Order: sequence, then structure tokens, then C-alpha cells
Amino acid sequence: MTEFALQDQIRARAKELLASEQVQCVIGYEHGSRGQIRPVFIHQSTDTDRLVWDQGCTHNLVTYLRDKKGAFGSGEHPQRVAIIVKPCDSRALNVLLAEKQIEREHLYVIGVVCAGIVEGAGYAGQSSDKLQARCLRCNDRVPVIYDLLVGEPTQAETEDDYIDLAELEAMSPAERAAFWLKQYERCILCYACRQVCPGCYCSICMFERDDSLWVGIAAGTKEKEAFHLGRAYHLAARCIGCNECERVCPMELPLSLLNRKLAKEVQALFHYRAGDKPSQSPLATMLAEGEEFPA
Amino acid sequence: MKFLSREALQTWLDRLANEATLIAPRLVDGILLYRSVSSARDIVLDYTRPKMSAKEVVLPSSEPILLVEKRGQDVNLSEPPTGEQVVFGLRPCDAHGIAVLDAVFVAQEPVDLNYARRRNATTLVGLSCPQMWEDCFCTSMGGMPNDPSHVDVLLTEVENGYAVTTVTDKGRTLVAELSLQEMEYEPPESVLNEAELVLTQEHWPDRFADQYWDLLAERCLECRMCAYLCPVCRCFDVRDQVVQQGISYSKYDRLRCWDSCTGANYRMVAGGHNPRATKGQRLRNRFFCKFHYFPVEYGLSGCVGCGRCIEACPVNIDIVEVLRDMSRASNAPQTSKVSPNAETGITA
Repeated sequence: MTEFALQDQIRARAKELLASEQVQCVIGYEHGSRGQIRPVFIHQSTDTDRLVWDQGCTHNLVTYLRDKKGAFGSGEHPQRVAIIVKPCDSRALNVLLAEKQIEREHLYVIGVVCAGIVEGAGYAGQSSDKLQARCLRCNDRVPVIYDLLVGEPTQAETEDDYIDLAELEAMSPAERAAFWLKQYERCILCYACRQVCPGCYCSICMFERDDSLWVGIAAGTKEKEAFHLGRAYHLAARCIGCNECERVCPMELPLSLLNRKLAKEVQALFHYRAGDKPSQSPLATMLAEGEEFPA
Repeated sequence: MKFLSREALQTWLDRLANEATLIAPRLVDGILLYRSVSSARDIVLDYTRPKMSAKEVVLPSSEPILLVEKRGQDVNLSEPPTGEQVVFGLRPCDAHGIAVLDAVFVAQEPVDLNYARRRNATTLVGLSCPQMWEDCFCTSMGGMPNDPSHVDVLLTEVENGYAVTTVTDKGRTLVAELSLQEMEYEPPESVLNEAELVLTQEHWPDRFADQYWDLLAERCLECRMCAYLCPVCRCFDVRDQVVQQGISYSKYDRLRCWDSCTGANYRMVAGGHNPRATKGQRLRNRFFCKFHYFPVEYGLSGCVGCGRCIEACPVNIDIVEVLRDMSRASNAPQTSKVSPNAETGITA
């Protein structure tokens, strides 16, 4: 099936969902300015022709669900939302479901069979024919959760060998620390990595508390290190590898190396991959066989 | 025109690097930034624009604005030191940005002492853009790719060297020792982008309550990238921090750090109230500040048209698109009205 056919299918279902008021909003992709693909929020059934699908749809839209659940303590009801997800994005849905951040009945999931997203997607004039590195090592073609599947399911035979981590793993702890401090130094603390992350949904980030409980407001290397390492640990066994943090970083910090190192360790130690199953509980609260929660 | 050969430029830059802090476009892990250099060899001369603006040289991302030391009953207040610095290779839009910052921090009383100290110790050597790059719209914001207005000295590339235009006394002092050759020809004009934007500043107040801002903000990630890359955004937060605390000796820093209106806690006040509680209100502030509040307050555009925010925004919030939408909306019937005066007082 061509991309155009997939796009038509997405538009048609979005139109039905909005016209029948099953959802209040469809979160998808549209053509933006300067030939870029960007996230779009469709509220009217007459606007569904704005929706597009192609290999430039790199954004993980799941991150926007935190804006749809109603402000904490406001008494607002969560919106009923339809969302377009790739296989990687769909695992973020499972993470949020397991962490009780979203409710399944408020969601209509349009899953798209994905053959990979191209490099430079999301930025003007940078799109290429080459697939992103994360897509080249990705084995998932079909979303793990969906109400409507768009596209013909295919099989992939790729093995993630974590070869990108080899260089860092070969370093001594001191060399590794030096490598990372040099990277952190460049960080401008714009927090785009955190903001774009579906797993970072705390209403007040611990690294930005007004009382400076954990870190102060200085843009020093020490503060940046605390932020990036802290964020990485908070994402251990939760990061699904959409790599949006690395894509959005204006200073090009290789954040995937941090997240993937933790994902690799978690997989080796616990045979656990974030977001694989719908009812999967967070790793931190999973019990081994024979274990029980204290009464 | 006055001519400086490539070789003479290198010698001059090496000397400047020895005499003062020389800041110039330099690659840092593959990313071009205005950073201090130890020799002319480190300087990149062929570039579009560094990833970050040059505002860091006068308004660092974080700086102590007061150092407090307490020894027994004695309290010592001191201010952080500042040395002479020369910025070389400054793009005219970035110099324009510094001129806008000057309007806020030093043109009116009370003068911002820290900013003034840095600014007075800074000499700006501009380098003309041979052309406007993709995303650039400086000509729509009152600039030019070879605008000498806001630098002390402007260099423009010509064959085998540079045309040198001295603009201020500071600039004349800086180039005094150079033996510049007088040439009979003038440097070429920069190549301009076609599209000019029409600005309709007076219509902005009518658009204050438009749903447009909430809709635009739906895709905004609320990161602060646009503000931090911007040559003009200058909001900051101030907080006191304990460095060391003891019985006989304590030390505290008063820190000033960049802030951005797109961030969630930007306007949070004591007690937890937030008059800019929604994304839409904060993103609206970004554009109103640049194109309405700032022009009204200072008579200057709050945007210099460098295009950095357009290039960097990961979700394609495009300032030029917003400007076009606004001028289109100003010709359309109004959907809503608010009193403009209610908001003009709220500038950053």
C-alpha cells in the first residue's frame, strides 16, 4: 500500500471519529512551513484533509497526551483523543497506561505500520532518503497497541547489537566521565529533551524546583550533569527509544547513548523492554516469582 | 575602501587573542558557537551563523551578580570581575540584537551594572553576510546582512581579504595599529532574500484574545530553545544560593540565569498564582513581546530576523508564519476585542 493510501485511510477514520463525536481531537501530522512535517491537532471533521503520513513523520505524538488529561486538580475531564502512533510511539502508550497517566477508554489509537523514518525529518531542508539509525536497528513494524491498524503488517529481521555503545563501554570510568562532562558542558538547559519526552510528565520537574532542593538554577556543568543523569535514571526501563530527546537537542548531545545503555542493562538483567505489553507494570514495582507485596 | 589582507587579519587576530579575551565563531564538538579562542587558527571564517546568538558575551546564561561573604560579624559584598573582550566575526543581526539589549539594560536609568560593565569592556567586530541565508529575514526587521550600524568595526569579505569599515571611536582605537591599504573599489553588496514581511504592529492588541494562540500552542513543547537561541530574548530569573555555610564563615551567590516565557513556571508568583497559566498565553507573550510590547516600550523591534528559532524549533513554530498570519488577520474582520492597554504594561 502506498503512503497516499495510508494517508487516505487515516483521514477517513479521523473524519468519522470527529463527526460522530467519538473523539474531540485527532493528534496527527501535517505539512508545516518550509516543507516540514509537524504535529497537528484536528478538532473539526472538515479539517481532516490536513492529516498526512509519510516517512518524515518523526515526532512521537504521545508526549502531547499530557496536555489532554486535564490540569491536575482543575477538575477538568480528560479529552477523548485519537492519536497516530508508530510502533515505537505505541510502546510509550503502554508505559503511560501502566503508570496510570492515561486511560484507555479516552483514547482511540491509529497505529501505522512503519518501515522507518528518514534522517533529518522534522527540519527544513534536511530530510534525506537514509533511514534514521534508530530505525535501521528497529525490529518493530507493527504498533503494540491500536484500535485501527493502517498498512500491511510486515516482518523485519534486524538485531539490535548496541554497536553504538561499544566505544563508550570500552572506556575507563574516568574517560567516560570526561566524555560526558564535555557533552553536558554544551547543554543550554533549554529542557527540550525533557519537554519532548512522553515519559517526562511530572508537573514540577525535580530539577526545576523553586526551592533548589536538588539543583540550583545556575547553568553550570555540575547542574547539567545532575539533570541529564537524573533524567536518564528516571527513564531507565521506561524509555522506549523514540530518540526524540536527541533529535530536538539544539546542541546535539548524544542522549541516545545514555538511554540505550540503561535499556541494554535493564534488558540483560530483567529481560524487560519498556512498553512491550499493555498491562506491564513499571519495572520498579514488578515482583519476581514467589514475591508478594507486603500486607 | 580600506583593505586588510587575509594574512594581516590572521596576524591581527592572533595579537587580539593575546591582549584580550577574543570571542569568535569556533567549532565546539561540531557545533559552531561564539566562543573564546586562543589563536586565529581556531576561528571559522566561512559560516552562515553560529547556532547560538552572541548575547552570551554581554548576558551570560548564568552569572553571579553579587557575591556575599560573611566572616564572624563582618559581611563583605563584592561584584564579580570582568575583563576586556573583543568579539570577532559577529553577524550584523547579532550586533543588532546587542543594540536591542542595550536599550533595555543601559540606555535608561537605572542602568544594569553587570550588563554595563561587560558591555563597556566589549568591542564588536562584525563580519558581513555575503548573502541572506535560508530562514533569514533581517531586512524585514530593519537590518541588513552588511549593516555596520551596531558594530565598532565591520569587515566585508573581498578578493584576498576584507574591506574594513570603522564605525565608532572604540573601533578606530582597535584598528589604529593596523596598516590598512586604501583601495579604489567598494565591497560587493550582499545578496538579499526576496520576500519582505509587512508588519502591522498597531493591529496586535486586537488579536490578543484570539483563539489562534491556544491553537498554535497545542504543538509547542514549552521548551526554551527559541528564547535561549534568540539574540534579543533577555528574561532572567534571580535566586540566592548557598555556596558554603558555617559558624565562622559563610558564602552566598546571587545568581541571575536565563529564563523564557515559554516555560511553565515563567510567571508563577508567590502563593502559586500564575497569570500566564496556559501554553497559549505564554507563547502569545513570546510574539507580543517581540512585535508589540517591545516596540511600544522602546521603539525598536524585539526581533532582528536571524531565523535561528525557525531553524531550531523541533515542532516548526515559525515566527515568519506567525507574522504572516497576523498581517492576514489584521485585514480580516475581528473575532474578538480586548482593551490593548490592559496588556501593554506587561513586558518582559
